[in-house]
Amino acid sequence: MNITKIRSVCIIDDDPIFIYGTKRIMKEVDFSDEIIVYNNGQDAIEGLRQITNDGKELPSVIFLDLNMPIMNGWEFLDHFTEMPNNNQEDILIYIISSSVDPRDIARIQEYDIVNNYILKPITIEDLHKILKNTGGIN
Amino acid sequence: MQTLSITSLIKDSPSAVAILNTELRFVAYSRVWLDDFCKGQSSLTGKNYLDVLPRTPEALRSILKECLANGTKNICEGRKFIYPDGTLQWLKWKINAWTDDSGEIGGLIILLEDVTDTKRREEILAKAERVGRIGGWEIDLSTNQLFWTDITREIHEVPDDFQPYIETAINFYKEGIHREEITRLISNAFADGTPWDTELILVTAKGNEIWVRAKGEVEMANGKCVRIFGTFQDINNKKKVELGFKKVSERLALATQGAGVGIWEYDLVSKTMVWDNIMFRLFGLEYNPNDLSYETWQNSIHPDDRKDGDIEIAKAISGTKNLDAQYRAVWPNGDIRHMRAIGVTQKDSNGKVVKIVGANYDITELKNTQMRLKESEDSFYGAFEHSNTGMAIVALDGSFEKVNQSLCDCLGYTMDELTEMSFQEITHPDDFKNDVHLLKQVVNGLKPSYKLEKRYIHKNGHIVYGILTATAVTDMNGKVLHYVSQVTDISPQIRTEKKLTRLVNITSEQNERLLNFAHIVSHNLRSHSSNLSMLTNFLIKEKSDEERKNLLTMLRGASDGLNETIMHLNEVVQVKIGAHEKKKDVNLYDTLKNVENNLSQLIQEKNATFELKIPRNLTIKAIPAYLDSIVLNLISNGLKYSSPKRKPLIQISAELAHDAIIISFKDNGMGIDLTRHQKKIFGMYKTFHRNKDAKGIGLFITKNQIEAMNGKIEVESTVGVGSTFKLYFENHEHYKN
Repeated sequence: MNITKIRSVCIIDDDPIFIYGTKRIMKEVDFSDEIIVYNNGQDAIEGLRQITNDGKELPSVIFLDLNMPIMNGWEFLDHFTEMPNNNQEDILIYIISSSVDPRDIARIQEYDIVNNYILKPITIEDLHKILKNTGGIN
Repeated sequence: MQTLSITSLIKDSPSAVAILNTELRFVAYSRVWLDDFCKGQSSLTGKNYLDVLPRTPEALRSILKECLANGTKNICEGRKFIYPDGTLQWLKWKINAWTDDSGEIGGLIILLEDVTDTKRREEILAKAERVGRIGGWEIDLSTNQLFWTDITREIHEVPDDFQPYIETAINFYKEGIHREEITRLISNAFADGTPWDTELILVTAKGNEIWVRAKGEVEMANGKCVRIFGTFQDINNKKKVELGFKKVSERLALATQGAGVGIWEYDLVSKTMVWDNIMFRLFGLEYNPNDLSYETWQNSIHPDDRKDGDIEIAKAISGTKNLDAQYRAVWPNGDIRHMRAIGVTQKDSNGKVVKIVGANYDITELKNTQMRLKESEDSFYGAFEHSNTGMAIVALDGSFEKVNQSLCDCLGYTMDELTEMSFQEITHPDDFKNDVHLLKQVVNGLKPSYKLEKRYIHKNGHIVYGILTATAVTDMNGKVLHYVSQVTDISPQIRTEKKLTRLVNITSEQNERLLNFAHIVSHNLRSHSSNLSMLTNFLIKEKSDEERKNLLTMLRGASDGLNETIMHLNEVVQVKIGAHEKKKDVNLYDTLKNVENNLSQLIQEKNATFELKIPRNLTIKAIPAYLDSIVLNLISNGLKYSSPKRKPLIQISAELAHDAIIISFKDNGMGIDLTRHQKKIFGMYKTFHRNKDAKGIGLFITKNQIEAMNGKIEVESTVGVGSTFKLYFENHEHYKN
């Protein structure tokens, strides 16, 4: 397969095991050069704002968990849409959650910036699909 | 002249005759003269007339002198003389002068008669005629001329010289029935001698209409009418009175007929009873005035009322009081009618009651109406007294005129207290305006009644929910006299409704929480299970020992997390099960002290101050295990999330509200941003601080536990200042000594 890897990816999740697993799978498929991790929405907003302030581009793909302490995924989305960035192209956001609550899924539809919803655990196939979607660009 | 024979002839004359000579000495006289004028004297011969009759009036003396002097005669049909002693005498005379053979005047022949008795009778008769306005008349059948006396003329108002004939007399009668009647009567009299006696109107010569009584009699001889005469009386005044009376009587009869008033008369002397036709009708009897007695009446009276009736009659007869009695009459067909009899008594000159005259009328309708009214009133007051609905009669100013026990019971007042009050005093202030507004519409006649759900204030201060129906009671002119208020106490329903609403809210809240809970559980279980499956997959493929060890450590972490989640789940389920446990009286102070001891190590570590402002004897109804858990959770939260900038201070106090005991847990910790987290604070797995111990389960369990005890939890918080959690427990009995 001839797949273009993603420049930089961001994982926002409070579950260390999930982060470990995801990182490991990403390595297997050579998903991205850079993986940035935040443990909750609040950390993520602060960290991403810092990147923009430094004049750099934000990661082009963000994996976002919904249930997190301090600031959950929803609140993160509300803040993130307000936030300026230096990116040339759209940032793809994937919600990654264990929730099968239909109310959560319905709510996701309301956010244009959210690209898709991925049910945990994340698999190699999920990452391949994402790479296919972004392949044309990168 | 053969003197002797004449003298003896004169002596036996049946009249009083005397012959006098020129010197007025008696020559001869009749015995009648001696008896009539000179009683007691033996012989008058030779005596002077004036000596024998010294009382001879001057007028007669002159006549005697004149006749003697001129030889003339004097005749008088009767003349009245009044003597100096007051006595009265009518004298009738004939005086002639007599001449001797030579033609010389020899003396006087006097025929004298005392007509006093006759004349007096005539005079009285004439007077009577005048007084009685009775005139006489007679028809001269040879000339058809009529003779009228003066009074007759006066009645006809014709002049004294008026000469009437039969035709003219008849024409005085009023044209029509009056003239026809007199013509018929006179014709009958001519034909067969039938007398008449009638009352008719005639029109006088001056045009006045008067009533007269005309009486005629006929004398017949050999079947032929020889004389018709009669009297003629002016009865105008009497007739007018009579007619007036008749008119009044007729009017009264008409009125009594129309009003159904029977008139009766009972003569106590002759024991006769007189009823008019209405009386018979009132008693359902055939009109039969001939077969009527006091018993007829008595028999018509209901047996139970006879005694009272007799007593009333007896009172009237004794003159104690006029008759006024009410009784029942029984008709022949068995119908019972209510009657009222009133009567006045008539007394004789000795003051003894001889007659009772009265009226009798049917008051059945009135009586029935009265009875219905009474029944209606009785049933109203019966209903009023015994109704389960609160009822009151309210005066126009709002004061209670009368209240029933039910109203007293539901408002907590005694009857005496409530009747001293007005509806304004027991109405909830927020409902007063609405009530008065509706009441005004009733007063203004816009509606006869109104219905309103309103609140009353019970004597002990709590609210009584009621449905009020107020109805105006008006007099016949539509003027409002008072109101009848009916108050249905719907407090139990309202309380049940509130309880139900609360239950529904709790239930739907619980359902909501349950759904959340299910999703959270599934989410958490899934996160652990997905981690487990992922790590297991890595482990299978992993060759490096070091990395395998690392994976195994994570695997244990994931399995511990799964275990913990299941324990939380169990804990939450336990709250639901535990809700069925009985609440007990728990001493709050002791509970708090116990928790303080358990947390003493943490308190020391944090160098925290613990202030307990709880009465020693305050007890609350709680499930002890829940209360322990709640208190432990809230206090440890206060310690866990303390601010690093200040020495932790935890204050616990109790407050008595109307229907709740409020326990406050106040800390000076980090505080929670409620604008962000208000909705999530009591949610499961919600954490708000960067605290490693935060699991997001404590407050979720706490909320479930307090609600399981019918309480509630509220929070106030300011970031950087602190939080206050308030627990509300149901308040039954506050202190136990």
